Amino acid sequence: MLQAAPMAKENVWGGGRSPYNVSYGKMMIWFFLLSDALTFGALLISYGTKRFFSAVWPDANQVFKSFPFLEGNDLPLLFVSLMTFILIMSSVTMVLAVHAGHYGDKKNVAVWLLWTIIGGICFLGCQAWEWTHLYGECNGLWGAFTTENMPFDSFQGFFNMHSPAVADIVVHHSKVAQEASHQFFNYFFTITGFHGAHVTSGVIFNMVILINVVNNTYQKRGHYEMVEKVGLYWHFVDLVWVFVFTCFYLL
Amino acid sequence: MSAHNQNESVQALYEGDQSKLYSGVMAHHTDVNSPESKAQVKKIWKIFWILLFITLIEVTIGMFFSKAMPIGIRNFGFLALTVVKAGYIVAVFMHLGDELKNFMITVLVPLVLFVWFIIAFLADGNYWLWINKDSPVHAKYEQVIKK
Repeated sequence: MLQAAPMAKENVWGGGRSPYNVSYGKMMIWFFLLSDALTFGALLISYGTKRFFSAVWPDANQVFKSFPFLEGNDLPLLFVSLMTFILIMSSVTMVLAVHAGHYGDKKNVAVWLLWTIIGGICFLGCQAWEWTHLYGECNGLWGAFTTENMPFDSFQGFFNMHSPAVADIVVHHSKVAQEASHQFFNYFFTITGFHGAHVTSGVIFNMVILINVVNNTYQKRGHYEMVEKVGLYWHFVDLVWVFVFTCFYLL
Repeated sequence: MSAHNQNESVQALYEGDQSKLYSGVMAHHTDVNSPESKAQVKKIWKIFWILLFITLIEVTIGMFFSKAMPIGIRNFGFLALTVVKAGYIVAVFMHLGDELKNFMITVLVPLVLFVWFIIAFLADGNYWLWINKDSPVHAKYEQVIKK
């Protein structure tokens, strides 16, 4: 079963070896991520569908233009760029931890994992600030725009009022604009919340494996594959953010 | 990266742990300062700079040029850049590019479902607009999307 080198070119599917050359655990984390990708995909596509249905839609440059300690200034997309940078950075530190794990380099695995955890916590802190800020802007999280016939003042700030056609709809068909605000923020809080829950669990997994690394669990086992598996999850979280970023902040 | 290569010394290290067969220790990865290791680290940082650069392009377009560009071209550009970023993350950071081709296909093919998913829902959106074509908002919607 284990004389792998001589039989490398022989029957791949004949049994006795993994045709994929990956362990069971690693294959299963890939399949888990695949199913998770379908969940996130469904959420984002249903957001896109609702947007497609509506005559007007909140403008990202209007909704996301605040920065901590610089409130009141018009700084579109700056804060979310910082969040994106933090998450990409933490993905790099994670892949460096996985790389050190391939070489059994315990010290570097621990150091890079620690940086990854710090990055994850910074991202969650940013998200907490953004949610708090939007809570103030909307007077609520989910369902803040469900009161019937709200005055257009309560949501006009989210739209690009410089466009005459948009301004006309917001003012004269405010019900349409209210419905759009309702959809936009419900999807925003649901999708970024679901993503934030993934980041939170990722940080917890990272902490657990950091404790194991420090306690020599993987040194005794002879390999750091668990770091690789948690790393896959962490990169997936970064991957989802790439799509969330495009769908909510850019398009 | 050859983290998944097997070799003859497998027997001694196996000890009933299947994961050992496929992990780096089995491929004689012992020296983290070897040229091979350093080349891999260099590659990781290179991908980081590429991802950062693409994100900066996206943010610059989003901040300053998104109102001035035709909406179709802008959206296509954003989606293309997103897919490029996703490709780099999956291929290099998640090491899918280093797996066997069989495995890559198994993981990626189910995602083809999204092609149907997106087309079906956009068609539904089109239909909705069509059945509401007589509403007063609709005429203005035409102006909005053609701004």
